[in-house]
Amino acid sequence: MTGCCGKKLSVRVRFFAYFRDVFGGKERIVDLDAGTTLAGLLDLIGDSPDRRKELFADGAPASGPGLKPNLVVMINGADLASRGGLSAALHEGDTVAVFPLMGGG
Amino acid sequence: MSGPAYGFFGKILEIDLTAGAVRVLPLDASVVADYIGGRGLATRLFCDTADPAADPLGPENVIAIAVSPLVGTNAPTSARGHMVFKSPLTGVIGTSNSGGGWGFTFKSAGYDALVIKGRSPEPVWIDITPAKVEIHSAAKLWGRDIHETTAELTAGFSAAERPRVLCIGPAGENLVRFADVANDKNRVYGRGGPGAVWGSKNLKAVRVAGREKIQIRDPEKYKSGYDQALYLMRQAPVTKRLLRELGTAGLVELINVIDMLPHRNFQDCTHREEDLERISGETIARTILERAAGCYLCPIACQRHTRIAREGSPDEIGEGPEYETVVLMGPDCGIYDLAAITTANYRCNELGMDTISFGGTVACAMELAEAGVLPKAATDGLDLRFGNASVLEKLAVATAYRKGIGDILAEGSYRLGEKFGRPDLSMSVKKMDIPAYDPRASFTQALGYMTSPSGACHLRGGYAVSLAFFGGSKEIPRFSLLQSPIAIRNMQNTGILQDSLGVCRFTGYAFGSDPWSRMLSGVTGMDFSVARLEEIENRIAALERLFNLAAGAGPADDALPPRFAESGIVVAGEKRTVSREAQEKMRRDYYQVRGWDEEGRPTAALLSSLRLAPLGRRPV
Repeated sequence: MTGCCGKKLSVRVRFFAYFRDVFGGKERIVDLDAGTTLAGLLDLIGDSPDRRKELFADGAPASGPGLKPNLVVMINGADLASRGGLSAALHEGDTVAVFPLMGGG
Repeated sequence: MSGPAYGFFGKILEIDLTAGAVRVLPLDASVVADYIGGRGLATRLFCDTADPAADPLGPENVIAIAVSPLVGTNAPTSARGHMVFKSPLTGVIGTSNSGGGWGFTFKSAGYDALVIKGRSPEPVWIDITPAKVEIHSAAKLWGRDIHETTAELTAGFSAAERPRVLCIGPAGENLVRFADVANDKNRVYGRGGPGAVWGSKNLKAVRVAGREKIQIRDPEKYKSGYDQALYLMRQAPVTKRLLRELGTAGLVELINVIDMLPHRNFQDCTHREEDLERISGETIARTILERAAGCYLCPIACQRHTRIAREGSPDEIGEGPEYETVVLMGPDCGIYDLAAITTANYRCNELGMDTISFGGTVACAMELAEAGVLPKAATDGLDLRFGNASVLEKLAVATAYRKGIGDILAEGSYRLGEKFGRPDLSMSVKKMDIPAYDPRASFTQALGYMTSPSGACHLRGGYAVSLAFFGGSKEIPRFSLLQSPIAIRNMQNTGILQDSLGVCRFTGYAFGSDPWSRMLSGVTGMDFSVARLEEIENRIAALERLFNLAAGAGPADDALPPRFAESGIVVAGEKRTVSREAQEKMRRDYYQVRGWDEEGRPTAALLSSLRLAPLGRRPV
C-alpha cells in the first residue's frame, strides 16, 4: 500500500459536486511515499467515517471488497480501470479526480 | 375500443389543417404490442402517413405526437411525449422527446396520439378536451413569443383546471431551420426544427385539458416495478441529489476532466480551469439559481429557475442554462461569460430556438469570420470573433427574426458554411450540430453521432459518456473499435425504450428495463417482457432507418465532418482522431450488429423477423 525508502511524491486530488463538502474543498495537494498506490491514496483521504462511506462499499478499507458503486476515480483523465485499478502506482504530479457519477444532457 | 382502458384509450386524433377537419382513428392493441407508444407509436403513425420525399416545410409533411400506456399513471417521470416529423434541418426523420406535463394532460384529454397533416391557410391553434376538439384562429397570437402565448392560452383557469400548451415562437413562424416547439413554457421539443414545421403549417399552438383516466390491469405487478424504480432512484447519486443540486451543468468541469469539452467550434478541448469555473453547475447554483424544479411526476428536479441581474435594467428571470447551452453557446464560441450565455438562453427560450444548433451555428460563423471567409459587410457590424460574448443575445434575436446575418444563421451551420464555400467548418452530422461532447474523446460517442437517426444527437445517438468515466479492464472501451458498435446499439435501444415509454433518460442512471417491463405489463395486461422490449426497440430502429433510406440518406451520411479525422486532440495524454478507417470499420460493424446490409439497409430476413413491411406497403 504505502511505499518505502523515504522518497516522496505529491499528487493533486480534485473533488467535484458534494464531495467538495465531504472532503473539505475543491482540491488538495497530497504528499505520498513513493510507490503509493491508488488504494493507499484513497485510504489517506478517507480519513473519517463520512469520507470512507463515499469511497468504499460498506466503508471497508481499500484492501477490502472495493469501491462504492457509482464512484468515479480518474487518473490524469483516464478511468481507473485502464490505469491499473486500485493497485495503480501514482507518480509525481498526477491528478486524481474523485466524484460521484454524474450524468446530463 | 370497448371495456376499460388498460393503459391506452385506443384513440388517435387526426387533424387535417388544409381541410380544417378533425377525425378520430382507432389505435389497435396489436400496434401497442409492437410499438408501445411515444416514439414507437409516433414513428409508426408518421411512416404510415408521411411521404419520405415530402418537402419538410410543405403541406405534405406530417407531425405525429404520441404518449405511452405508462402516461397517466404515477410512474416516475412518465409525463413525456414524443414528436416525429420530417426535419427541415436535416432532411431525414426528426424525432424529439420532451417532459414538462403536456404529455400527461394530453392523455387525460382521452387520446393516445395526435397526427397533424396539411397546412392551414391562416394561423390557427388547436384546443383539445374530451368533449371537443376545435381549431381556432391564431391571428391574435401570431407574432407573440412563447411565454406570452403560453400565458394567454392558460389564463383564467384555476391551478387544478389549468390546461397545458405546446406552441411556437417567432423563430418557428419565421421558419428558422432549428426552431423548436415549446412545451409547458420552458421545456422543448428541441432539435431538428419542429418549430419550423409547425410554422410552415400555420400552426401556432396545441392546448390540452381533461380528466380522463386509464386503468391498471394488474396493480400488484405494476407496483412491484414502481417500488423498485423509486428505491433505485434514491440510491443513485445522479437521480437522488446531483441533478437537483447542480443541474446538467454540473457536467461542465467533469467533461473537461476527460478532455471532451468542445472549444472554438471543436478546434480542441483545451480550457483553463479558472474559466470553466465561471460557468460550472456549482457557480450557477451559487450565483444565479433561484430554485430547482422537476417535470410532472419527476423527483429528480434538474430544472434550473434562474435570475440574472442586469446593469441599469430590471433583473431577468427564466430557466437554464443547461449543460448543452452552457457549452455550445459558451466555450464552443470561446465564451466563458455566464450572464451573456444565460440571457441569450432566455431569448432562445422565449423566441423558440434549439440552443445546441444556435450555439453550433454561431461557433461556425465565428470560425468563418476569423478565417476571413465571412465578410465583415455580412455581419451587420458585429465583431464575430471567438470570445465576443456581446454578440450572443443580439444574434439570437436576429436569427429568430431572420434579420440581416440572422437570415443566414437561421439556415443552420451547414448551409451557412456551404454558402461561403466552407461546409467543412460546420461541426454537424446530417446537418445537425454536434452536442457538447467531442467525438475524438470517445469513439463510442463518435459512432453514436454517426448513426443517430436524427443527425448528431446525444439523446437519439446513444449517450456514451459514462463509458469514459468507468471502463473495462483491458481495452479502454471508449476507444474500442471492437466494442463500440454493440455498446452504442445498446445505448440507442435504451433510449428508444425510454422515449417510447414517455420516461426520462435520467432514470437510466438508476435502473434498466426490468422495472419498466413490470410497470408496462402491469398497466396493460400485455406481455412486455425484457426480451419483447428488445424486439420492439429493434423494430423501431429499423423503421426509422427505412424512412431515412427512403428520404435519400445513405452510408456517406453516417460520417463525421473532416476535422475529426484530420485534426487531433489530446485525450488523457494521447493524441486522438477518429480516422476515416476507424469510422468505416465501426459503421460497417454497427450495420452488422443492427442486422442491416453493407449499405445500411435492414435485410429482408430482419424485416421478416420484426414483421416490418417495407415503407409504402400496408403493415404485415
